[in-house]
Amino acid sequence: MIKMNGVIKRFGKNTVLTDVSFEVKKQEIFGLLGPSGAGKTTIINILTNQLNADGGNYETGASSFETGLMLDNDGLFPRLSCADNLNVFADIYNIPRKKSMEALKNVGLGEAAKKSVNNLSKGMRQRLALARAILHNPKILFLDEPTSGLDPATARGIHKLILELREKGATVFLTTHNMDEAVKLCDKVSLLHKGKIIEQGAPDEICRRYDSVKTVPDLESVFIKLTGVELE
Amino acid sequence: MRSIRAIFIKQAKDMFKNPMVLIMFIIFPAVSLIMTELVAKSNDDIPNNMFVTMMAAIFAGMALITSMSGIIAEDIERGSLRLLVMAGVKPHQYLFGTGGFILLMGIVVSVIFTLIGDFTNTEIIKFLTVMVMSTAASIILGASIGIIAKNQQAATAIGMPFAVILGFTPMVAGFNKTVEKAASILYTQQMNVIVNDFSANFNKAMLVMGINIAVLLVLFIIIFRKRGLKV
Repeated sequence: MIKMNGVIKRFGKNTVLTDVSFEVKKQEIFGLLGPSGAGKTTIINILTNQLNADGGNYETGASSFETGLMLDNDGLFPRLSCADNLNVFADIYNIPRKKSMEALKNVGLGEAAKKSVNNLSKGMRQRLALARAILHNPKILFLDEPTSGLDPATARGIHKLILELREKGATVFLTTHNMDEAVKLCDKVSLLHKGKIIEQGAPDEICRRYDSVKTVPDLESVFIKLTGVELE
Repeated sequence: MRSIRAIFIKQAKDMFKNPMVLIMFIIFPAVSLIMTELVAKSNDDIPNNMFVTMMAAIFAGMALITSMSGIIAEDIERGSLRLLVMAGVKPHQYLFGTGGFILLMGIVVSVIFTLIGDFTNTEIIKFLTVMVMSTAASIILGASIGIIAKNQQAATAIGMPFAVILGFTPMVAGFNKTVEKAASILYTQQMNVIVNDFSANFNKAMLVMGINIAVLLVLFIIIFRKRGLKV
């Protein structure tokens, strides 16, 4: 469903992506893993047509209407209520406004529908951003660091939601630097370092390859073995 | 049309919760009402409409530029605009939705000015015409500044000199002939000329204001093509 083949991206003289290739199948949860600055967000920006690649080809097989986005910057309207934030997008997508309430209930924000975004905690804002991303039942969801900076309980809630979305038929493309999250959620991962894919496959498969299966597969030690760089 | 309407409604809801922008639309008619009632009406040496016309010129020059540029810069800075565009909103739809709402607010405030002042029907038509022209010019200028600015702070820093020049020059022109001559190319000065003397050359004022709008529109198109909405 999502394909990247030999993609290159340069910003001026700086090459940020080199020969990036991967494939994500329908209804898969795919994780792009790497430290900050590895090029994860650049890949999302290319796949969502916010940036053009300088080489290679790529496709998502979905229109912008069939794509849901949760970006590093939540992009919420801070003075509007949770419901109004979603209603703006419901109007744009031409779907009934009652869908906004359904999406809020799905992420556990039904009670906070009338609350202004300014009064939400970071976890609630993340959930609201996720509600906006799933409002129109997209075929593909791009989630950029969906649990970054969240407490474990809220992160678990988001993990549960992501798994439910996959069950409902969505293909999920997420970026993270949290290896445990990737092991828990992803069917397939690509490890990205300095703009290059250094390894890819199913998380437990990769860990077995590098003899890093302890009680649970340990992708973090695989990454350190491959790059010598610790994830922050 | 659907997207323009969605942005328009979003803007309407947002403005009434945004004291920084809301105050711009309240303060000028409020000051003109207070000064007209307390000073102009009780003093025969001061024309009845002096404070209305003065505040209207400052409103058209200052409030509309800073609010339009601030709204765009905020949506860019917070990443909201990026998400709107990703949801299928075209940049021109965003600008029409936002600009359309500011234009409506400009017209509402202009009508309030006519209620505070003492105008005949013909004068009201002329007043509203020059106010709508000035509002349109300020919205285009504000949009250009919003696109150039990297964030809201930068939008204020870039917009304020324009706002001060356009808002206050007509006032200074009243006391200085050289400034009056130089200011005659500005739309706010032409607006000021008409609202202070409704028998002044209306066609000339319309022509100058039309040229101002055309020049600002060309400038806006150049900036937009070069910078886009930075999503």
